[in-house]
Amino acid sequence: MQDKTKVKHNRKMKRFCRKGIPAEYRPVAWMTLTNAESRMKMSPNLYRDLLARSIEPALEETIRLDLHRTFPDNIHFRSSDDFETLQVPLYNILKCIALKNPHVGYCQGLNFVTGLLLLIIKNEEKIFWLMDTLITEILPDFYNPNMKALKAEQELLGQIVKWKLPDVHDHLRILGVPWALIGTKWFICMYADVMPVETVLRIWDCVFYEGSKVLQRVAITLIALNKEKILACKDFPEAVDLIQKSVKQPPCLHCHNFMMHIFNEPGSFPRSRINSLRDTCFSEVT
Amino acid sequence: MSTMECEVDTNRTIEAKIVLLGSQAVGKTSVVIRYVGGMFSKHVSPTIGASFFTYKLTLDKYRIKLQVWDTAGQERFRSMAPMYYRKANAAMLVYDITCKDSYYDIKDWVKELKKNVETPIVMCLLGNKRDLEHKRRVSASEAQEYAKSIGAFFFETSALFNTGIDEAFFQMAQELVKICEMPNSGIRVLNCHGTDMEESELGSSIKLSNTKENAQNVDSETCLC
Ligand SMILES: Nc1nc2c(ncn2[C@@H]2O[C@H](COP(=O)(O)OP(=O)(O)O)[C@@H](O)[C@H]2O)c(=O)[nH]1
Ligand SMILES: [Mg+2]
Repeated sequence: MQDKTKVKHNRKMKRFCRKGIPAEYRPVAWMTLTNAESRMKMSPNLYRDLLARSIEPALEETIRLDLHRTFPDNIHFRSSDDFETLQVPLYNILKCIALKNPHVGYCQGLNFVTGLLLLIIKNEEKIFWLMDTLITEILPDFYNPNMKALKAEQELLGQIVKWKLPDVHDHLRILGVPWALIGTKWFICMYADVMPVETVLRIWDCVFYEGSKVLQRVAITLIALNKEKILACKDFPEAVDLIQKSVKQPPCLHCHNFMMHIFNEPGSFPRSRINSLRDTCFSEVT
Repeated sequence: MSTMECEVDTNRTIEAKIVLLGSQAVGKTSVVIRYVGGMFSKHVSPTIGASFFTYKLTLDKYRIKLQVWDTAGQERFRSMAPMYYRKANAAMLVYDITCKDSYYDIKDWVKELKKNVETPIVMCLLGNKRDLEHKRRVSASEAQEYAKSIGAFFFETSALFNTGIDEAFFQMAQELVKICEMPNSGIRVLNCHGTDMEESELGSSIKLSNTKENAQNVDSETCLC
């Protein structure tokens, strides 16, 4: 089948995404940029078929335990008699992802990514396809139960810090802060339920076009912006506390400035170097 | 190092790490929030990765600085667990009294801790959600018996109604005080100058300067996800 909706990769498009996709175009843009739209068109009945199937009780239970804990402060996710709660489509999508990707099943964190997409795209089937595309094509294998790719990604962050900010790297090593403590939720949730929503959406505009290395740009920027404070930390809890609170600090609240930072602060970020570092980290993870 | 100018009584500070382990949604985060923050929220997000809180209390002549680690419950995060319980001095093993499976899961945690933690670890079994008596699936006597067999303390708790939680943490703190001066306890003890009484190899632990702190005072909360 000839693919008419596939977006050409070019500088102009990159700039468009980095500047922030206007809210009204986001649903269409995200679906096309990621290629989820054409994948959906190639299997027009799949979502409906999956929806009709049932899943193992244990898996269903694991998903259900997280439904009412997903954005519980957001009115659309509350259970109520007055309006339809988004917990229903959230369950449907998570269930279908698990059915389509049996090796993934359900991984905590998928609820937050799906939940935020529900607030933007408002179409179950489309979100299912976007999630499926993220899992199978865009992100490293973060949601695999062996967690290898996730651990490798955290080590990769360590390597990038060592390359870009060697003094911070040394200092955190002396304090005994393992990278795996820093990035678990950042990467698994792609910053959803971590950073302010508007900033997350801007990050996703770029991830969906440029790929997962944008997540590393964000991480290294968070560390770079707090470099002096991190270097002043005297112990392990102080340093971890500081880094984790950094996601809610002023530079992250102003999404436009923050996005400027992520593309300027870390300097050059060649895909080939990132990929080869990632491979090395992956092979070293146990 | 002279300890002459130290005030009598509260002249020691001990620093200990407590880790909470247990299945998904048994109430680990709620228990920690109840103890450290003094409240219950129906709206807690699932913990992804881990988060840690510090909490200070005073007991006899000791100031105790607890580093409380809350962890993710989903099975697949299990492979990250060693990083969280590494160098823990105490473990709270939490299950949900309305869910038999969550109780069985505790046995795996105990095995794993025994295998992987070298320093002595104080264990406390918590049967949470005791307010849901009508849905109870695990009897208190059975759990009590089991706790005894593994040398753990046992409490039934409710994060919702705030029962049993202070008692459990207090019991643990007492036990930590009891063992901290023993050789190889793995617990960091500092004198009034903030210097080590006994150099342990806790590379990641905290050097406390002599700041004034109130007993039972929330210090900070950090999400480590
Ligand atoms: N009835 C009751 N519900 C509780 C209690 N503690 C926690 N919960 C509920 O159980 C669910 C899971 O709690 P959470 O603290 O997130 O569990 P965790 O996954 O072990 O951290 C939430 O909906 C809580 O509101 C309790 O003592 N009684
Ligand atoms: Mg939790």
